[in-house]
Amino acid sequence: MDRVNPRNVLVVVAAVAGCVAPFVMGDLTFLMRMLLAAIVVTGLSLLMGYAGQASLGQGAFVAVGAVTVAVGTTRWGLPPLLVLVAAPIVAGAFAALVGVPLLRLRGHYLAFGTLALLLMVQTAMSTLDFLGGAFGISGIPAFGVGGSVFTDQRPYVLLALGLLALVLFVTHRIVDSRFGRGIRALAGSETAAESAGVPVMRGKLVIFALSAMYAGLAGGLSAFFTPYVSPDSFPALESFTYVIMAVVGGLGTLWGGVVGAVLVSTLLQVLNLVSSQPQLPPTLGPILQYATYGGLLVVALLFMPGGIVPTVQSAAARAVSRRGGAGRT
Amino acid sequence: MLTIDRVSRSFGGVYANRDVTLTVAEGEVRGIIGPNGAGKSTLFNLVAGHIRAESGTISLAGRRIDRLPAHARARQGVGIVFQGARVFPGMSLLANVMVGAHAHTRAGVVAAALRPPSQRREERAIRAQAEDCLSRVGLLDWASRPAEGLPLGQQRRLQVARALAGLPRVLLLDEPASGLRAAERQELAELIGELRRDGTTILLVEHDVGLVTSLAERITVLDLGRVIADGTPSEVTSDPAVIKAYLGTGASHAADR
Repeated sequence: MDRVNPRNVLVVVAAVAGCVAPFVMGDLTFLMRMLLAAIVVTGLSLLMGYAGQASLGQGAFVAVGAVTVAVGTTRWGLPPLLVLVAAPIVAGAFAALVGVPLLRLRGHYLAFGTLALLLMVQTAMSTLDFLGGAFGISGIPAFGVGGSVFTDQRPYVLLALGLLALVLFVTHRIVDSRFGRGIRALAGSETAAESAGVPVMRGKLVIFALSAMYAGLAGGLSAFFTPYVSPDSFPALESFTYVIMAVVGGLGTLWGGVVGAVLVSTLLQVLNLVSSQPQLPPTLGPILQYATYGGLLVVALLFMPGGIVPTVQSAAARAVSRRGGAGRT
Repeated sequence: MLTIDRVSRSFGGVYANRDVTLTVAEGEVRGIIGPNGAGKSTLFNLVAGHIRAESGTISLAGRRIDRLPAHARARQGVGIVFQGARVFPGMSLLANVMVGAHAHTRAGVVAAALRPPSQRREERAIRAQAEDCLSRVGLLDWASRPAEGLPLGQQRRLQVARALAGLPRVLLLDEPASGLRAAERQELAELIGELRRDGTTILLVEHDVGLVTSLAERITVLDLGRVIADGTPSEVTSDPAVIKAYLGTGASHAADR
């Protein structure tokens, strides 16, 4: 093993960059949002890429996780660690429940069904006072375990990094397993998967719940970080952004979600800086954002239909084989 | 081994299968033939579990399977080879065959994440078995290639390997020779012959009379949803009802190819 796998190098570089960034950047809000998006999109990429099921409403499960934390801490006074653990569990259980009817839909219908779910969750949050009503829930306490309490942004970012690593690790293991093979198989042909002994409906439900658990975890963490949860915290546009991140990064790849989240978040941040120059009209920001989404999707679908990660991987493989190397991924 | 007892199924008031009864003995290769629209595919789908019978029963090794969903039938030992190219795209040949082992393995999503020793053992066993099945159909050398790039004949052999990985009590093949070139068809016939020598029970639904008469020990002939003959290849091909219903048109059709 004298040859170093370039992918491992990239992973190490990304990990080091992720660990250094919280100590050199000033305001960590952007970095935190990016990491949370990466957690959500990793789950979405698993759902869309491996299992072949669409979701335009992943924000619904982010919201469920956030509300779990908000209600658990402010209404019931539960310890922060407990509610953060509960957030993905509640989101996953919610997904398993609504998934029974929802996952009977396919393709575009499922996409719209999940979008409708998000709108229903938003409506429930704004009408039920228990869930915050129109004003939302504020005053969520800082996260902490025992006596140590998070007093600034940095520990949140480090926690998010650790959880992202955990999510990637779990995803990697699940994809490369008996269960994961069944999931990939049903994306190709439900009939053939069924006849090979894969319980298709249950498999879809489990993977839907799992992607919702990731979203709920990110939502729970964001509730502590912000620390405020309202129906407006989870706009439909954000759920579309998750899909764009997943597609741009590369559906059905382990690192696609992270790459897409980093790239699209950075791009949006740059656009934000550009459009907030004083001499420019205030409407420019949203216009630029929508235009960028459209442009990104068109460019990605035209030139990298598989997304960035698979395109780079195959380009690297070609480069290696041209050099006569025996390196394989 | 496989008992189909007075099974009926209609579509829009027209019977596609009516009181179909047949019994396949252990180790037997049974051919199902019939002209277009005879109800062969309906019978295949009824046994596979993709559609349900309106009446009648289907049993495998003494257990009723006709109310089970398709994936549970796989667990009971029904192995399926589809007519279409139903391999799993984006997965290697080996992974395709490993999916077939779902029918007799159990590790779930929690085991996948935690990977206890039992899960690791099972994974190793699945891999070894899948390699064995690939080698039985002669595709082991291509184990790491993507499945969707294979020619049709090899995709069908891959499906056979996938079905074998489920340790089937009975192997159902739906028109396995359709769309194949002559050489591929010959290879497939040899493969089925080998499976027969290994004692595999096979239900062969096929349009190609020549292929079925050369491979099957007994043949059931369907016409307009009913069984019109049942017997050895020579008995069946000399049956006047069969000649009238099928061979007159079928023989010339087979000669066309």
